[in-house]
Amino acid sequence: MSINLLHRHVLDDHISGFETDPNPNHLSVIRRPVIFSVLAHAGREAEVAEALWNAEDVAPRFCGPSEWLAVSRTVGAETVAGMLSAIAGASVVDQSDGRVLMEIFGPSVRKILSRCVAVDLHPEVFEEGQSAAMLCCHATANVARTGADTFEIIVPRSLAGSVFEELMEMGREHALTRGFAD
Amino acid sequence: MTSYRLGSGGAVNRGQSLNFTFDGRTYKGFEGDTLSSALLANDQMLMARSFKYHRPRGVVTASSAEPNALMTIGLGSRAEPNARATVVELYDGLAAASQNRWPSLRHDFGAVNDLFSPFLGAGFYYKTFMWPGVLWERLYEPLIRRAAGLGKVTMQADPDRYEKSWAHCDLLVIGAGPTGLMAALAAGRAGIRVVLADEGFRLGGSLLSESAAVGGQPAAEFAAEVVEELASLPNVTLMPRTTVFGWYDDMVFGGVERVQKHVASPSPDLPMERLWRIVAKRAILAAGAEERPLVFGGNDKPGVMTAGAARTYLNRYGVAVGGKVAVFTNGGSGYRTAADLLAKGVDVTAIIDARPQSADPVPDGLRVIRNGSVIATNGRHRIEGLIAERSGFEEVIGCDALAMSGGWSPIVHLMCQRGTKPVWSDEKQAFLAPDVGGAFVAAGSAAGHASLGDCLKDGSAKAHAALDSLGRLVGSLETPEVEGEYDPSFAPLWYVPGARDKAFVDFQNDVHVGDLGLAQREGFRHIEHTKRYTTAGMATDQGKLGNVNAAGIVAGMRGVSPAEIGTTTFRPFYTPVSFGALAGTARAEHAAPVRTSPLHGWARKNGATFVESGLWYRSAWFPREGEKTWRESVDREVLNVRANAGLCDISTLGKIEIFGQGAAEFLNRIYSNSFLKLPVGRARYGLMLREDGIVFDDGTVSRLSENHYVMTTTTAYAADVLAHLEFSAQTFWRELDVRFVSATDQWAQMSLAGPKARIIMSRVVQEDISDTAFPFLAVRDVTLRGGLKARLFRISFSGELAYELAVPAGYSEAVADSIMDAGREEGICAYGVEALNVLRIEKGHVTHSELDGRTTPDDVGLGRMMAMQKPDFIGRRLSTRFGLTAADRLQLVGLKPIEADKEIKAGAHLLKDGAKPSMANDQGFVSSACFSPTLGHFIALGMLKSGRERIGERVMVWDGLRGSEVLAEVCPPVFVDPENRKLHL
Amino acid sequence: MASLITCPHCGTRPKEEFSIRGAAAPKRPSPTAKDEAWHRYVYVRDNPKGRYQEYWHHVAGCRRFLVVERDNLTHEVFGVTDAAEFERAGAAE
Repeated sequence: MSINLLHRHVLDDHISGFETDPNPNHLSVIRRPVIFSVLAHAGREAEVAEALWNAEDVAPRFCGPSEWLAVSRTVGAETVAGMLSAIAGASVVDQSDGRVLMEIFGPSVRKILSRCVAVDLHPEVFEEGQSAAMLCCHATANVARTGADTFEIIVPRSLAGSVFEELMEMGREHALTRGFAD
Repeated sequence: MTSYRLGSGGAVNRGQSLNFTFDGRTYKGFEGDTLSSALLANDQMLMARSFKYHRPRGVVTASSAEPNALMTIGLGSRAEPNARATVVELYDGLAAASQNRWPSLRHDFGAVNDLFSPFLGAGFYYKTFMWPGVLWERLYEPLIRRAAGLGKVTMQADPDRYEKSWAHCDLLVIGAGPTGLMAALAAGRAGIRVVLADEGFRLGGSLLSESAAVGGQPAAEFAAEVVEELASLPNVTLMPRTTVFGWYDDMVFGGVERVQKHVASPSPDLPMERLWRIVAKRAILAAGAEERPLVFGGNDKPGVMTAGAARTYLNRYGVAVGGKVAVFTNGGSGYRTAADLLAKGVDVTAIIDARPQSADPVPDGLRVIRNGSVIATNGRHRIEGLIAERSGFEEVIGCDALAMSGGWSPIVHLMCQRGTKPVWSDEKQAFLAPDVGGAFVAAGSAAGHASLGDCLKDGSAKAHAALDSLGRLVGSLETPEVEGEYDPSFAPLWYVPGARDKAFVDFQNDVHVGDLGLAQREGFRHIEHTKRYTTAGMATDQGKLGNVNAAGIVAGMRGVSPAEIGTTTFRPFYTPVSFGALAGTARAEHAAPVRTSPLHGWARKNGATFVESGLWYRSAWFPREGEKTWRESVDREVLNVRANAGLCDISTLGKIEIFGQGAAEFLNRIYSNSFLKLPVGRARYGLMLREDGIVFDDGTVSRLSENHYVMTTTTAYAADVLAHLEFSAQTFWRELDVRFVSATDQWAQMSLAGPKARIIMSRVVQEDISDTAFPFLAVRDVTLRGGLKARLFRISFSGELAYELAVPAGYSEAVADSIMDAGREEGICAYGVEALNVLRIEKGHVTHSELDGRTTPDDVGLGRMMAMQKPDFIGRRLSTRFGLTAADRLQLVGLKPIEADKEIKAGAHLLKDGAKPSMANDQGFVSSACFSPTLGHFIALGMLKSGRERIGERVMVWDGLRGSEVLAEVCPPVFVDPENRKLHL
Repeated sequence: MASLITCPHCGTRPKEEFSIRGAAAPKRPSPTAKDEAWHRYVYVRDNPKGRYQEYWHHVAGCRRFLVVERDNLTHEVFGVTDAAEFERAGAAE
């Protein structure tokens, strides 16, 4: 027998029914991002970081002094795996199925996120391109500013439903819409 | 007509009239009114009954310190008790009800308490209702609670939403009166991030009640202009209707914003209230000052209020609090109120000034009784006159309202919430804010500045100091001129002698001067003891109005300065905060986040019943049609696994990926058993100890390549184990190159167990998984038919031939469906954690029911897993202590009932057969128990003293809690396949 | 409501992101150290009031163990260092 390789997104159960056009404030769920944990071994932190920041097609997200997430929306997991495993001094783990990537944007995005995270997201404090691990809606998340009014939120799959519902709840005042990006 | 709305004036919108009800009667007010100003405009001075004596009460203030005018606002599920009418913003359709009265506010049966008041002094219930003790809970307390009280809370669920939010700023300004506005303006113009919060619905504070001119224009217009400029600055956040109620560690302030409390039909998309955590680099307390009541006989009669309140109702709301107002004062505030009343055409009958002389300007024709005092008031539901006394002569003065002023107390609570006490100032006759370091300072009248001009100046100056300390100072101080300023000074007067009626200190708790005296006489002399004995300063207002007077009076009684008495402790919250706001969204099913397994959907469509396990929802059992109890389903699942095969979701087990050249050595030190020689492609069961030699967690480690391992942990300890690894690597053995990351969420993991597991699994994976190619404890990467990469482990918890298959989470439902299809002919079933638990008890495998933080490896029969030849591992050193190796320790045994139909329950105690239940006779306990469908009777695992030596002995299983006694035989803990034949099929 | 800890890796964070593991001063003895040293390490802790060094695990952030030196009465924080740095500095002394 052959296994039918149907891939299910954990938020399929949460995003159903008629999709409306996105409002100015919108939460977009990326269906199949590539996300790897990158661990730098002792003493190799700087060179791993440098290689990661120079890598094409992946965006590095800071988790800790020797840990990052490498995120790609453009190339496949095998390509990313190949590229990352070439980085000397690093160990990598595919987390593409274990993490859920959401992008939230719009003029009220900071107001919405101030109900979700404790970190000051003022653009002079949390600059474009910056990322960090933090509590978001009671879950450990990685939050990155990817634009003036755009943030990327990566959460563990098992908690994604809870985080998603809470984000939508906090966005009600600002007419936040949601949908899969693709 | 006594109190009434003036024909013009005030900051109310006379074009927008609002209907509201009070105790069922309909009234009209205007937009911009508070409930209290609207009630006064309708000549409704009687607003409440007092807490203990049920005395008629009116409004005393126009502020959040109001002790009397507490009402229940709203109907049904939205009814909120104890709202202060002085800060309730009027809206169309508002329904207010008075409290603590029966049958009505005007005719209250409870008022008999006032007649019995000689017996109801401070501490009366401690003395009166002492014996018998049992009656206290059953009779006295319920009676007292019914007779004395505040509003009643609704028992219906709150229909509204609440949320919490963070805010970050350079400067937080608390209070938007003259001081706060000037501070925010200076800081806002300098470009720093400013938050300006004020409890009121209109920013401006006392400027809105001010008759003086500021900057050449009416004060309220000046305030509006400043607010308009602030609103235009992108770096300034204005937060009206937001009470900053607490100052916490690290310059975090708590605030509550009443988002929709003033809205007739609240929007479902907005919260009712929002809780703020405001992180500020600097903060300025510009909360203003509270006017002190004077403590004289009958000072609680409706119509007696502070002079500042009378002035606020007049100037801000265009309401005269009476037709004939008398003034009793010890300072300039009374004169200012009299002048404003006269200017608006309100009759003022006299000023009774407690001081022998003063330089305050007296309006033409107004009578001033100097060196005078008020000793009693007439009237019942409203003051009808007062008895003034001077030099022994008494005089009745007619009035229908009395404005009193006893001086001013800076509102310093927030600055005293982190352990620092306020400081008494003889010069200001007030408690001032303590020095709590430069980041948080008081300004304006909160800092003891009395005049409007000084407040405006101080607000700018304190903002400049904050800017300077942040390195952001630009520009110079600008302060607008004030015209029509008065002299705000006052002479101290704590208590007016000669009272003919009770002279109240704390209105809300009905504490009068006599109570304070009694407390001193009976030894409750410390102000904190005085508070508890008399209840002065308790309940919803926490003594905002009365505490300073209480300190002054107690000081007078003891002949010391108020500095020696001090104040009681100020704690958050400054004003009451609703539970809704504190809970935010964390209610009902959102009380905690929910973790779902990747196979949640698969389990659901197979009919699973779920059970909470920490944050996880795990499939517990899969009922089928016709099964009436959970046991029927579980028994079927267990038997089917033993006979055929079953599929169980075990994705919730923690999975930790481990890398590095030091990983082998690291694992060798983390586990009690050896890991150095674990071959690639093999899994090993491991025990982790705590440093005290007790088992911490168990699990498996598989070596995937030379320097790459994957560890599984129990579901419950996944987070603790990862933290333990991180801690050990970071602090104990920094020389070892080892790195970890959790991959729990990446992999769905399922256990396929049963004699037919191999046949089924071989239909799913491409590789050879025969016993030779893939023996017990083998591990390898596999490719599923269809191409998916996965990890296969030959590990068994059930005691059957079993495989654990890990697949990327998103594919798990498809894979599980395929396995179910592949096993249909073999009679596969889905099984849940309840069946898994039965399977492992039958097999004698331990879980945290046995590894309960008290057991050593040897206790649970795993002594062979102590690799003592290793020089070091966590827990090694203390594992050999005498206490942990004693022969009479509790040891793991099996238990089976002598009479086969008897049930053994977990938690029951084990006694020697025939011994009486007592601690002395306690021999151990049942750690896990279940019905074994395989054996057809109940079985159990237990911890029994020297248990391994007692196989075959009879013990009494005594369950005192549920009242059962079952005779059981001690047996080895492995009930099924003790020779492990099934594992190696 | 909140306390804030400034993580050297992540910046200022609320205490909810951390989990406290107790005193940082006791050092794990060598496997051959005397019973008394092990007894003290595992069981005996001072309970000081005032300045105190504690392990704080930044669970929801960088997952590093930090050593927070603070006054446990006033919560004044004097410094936060990565635990590995702290141990290294201690070992160098």
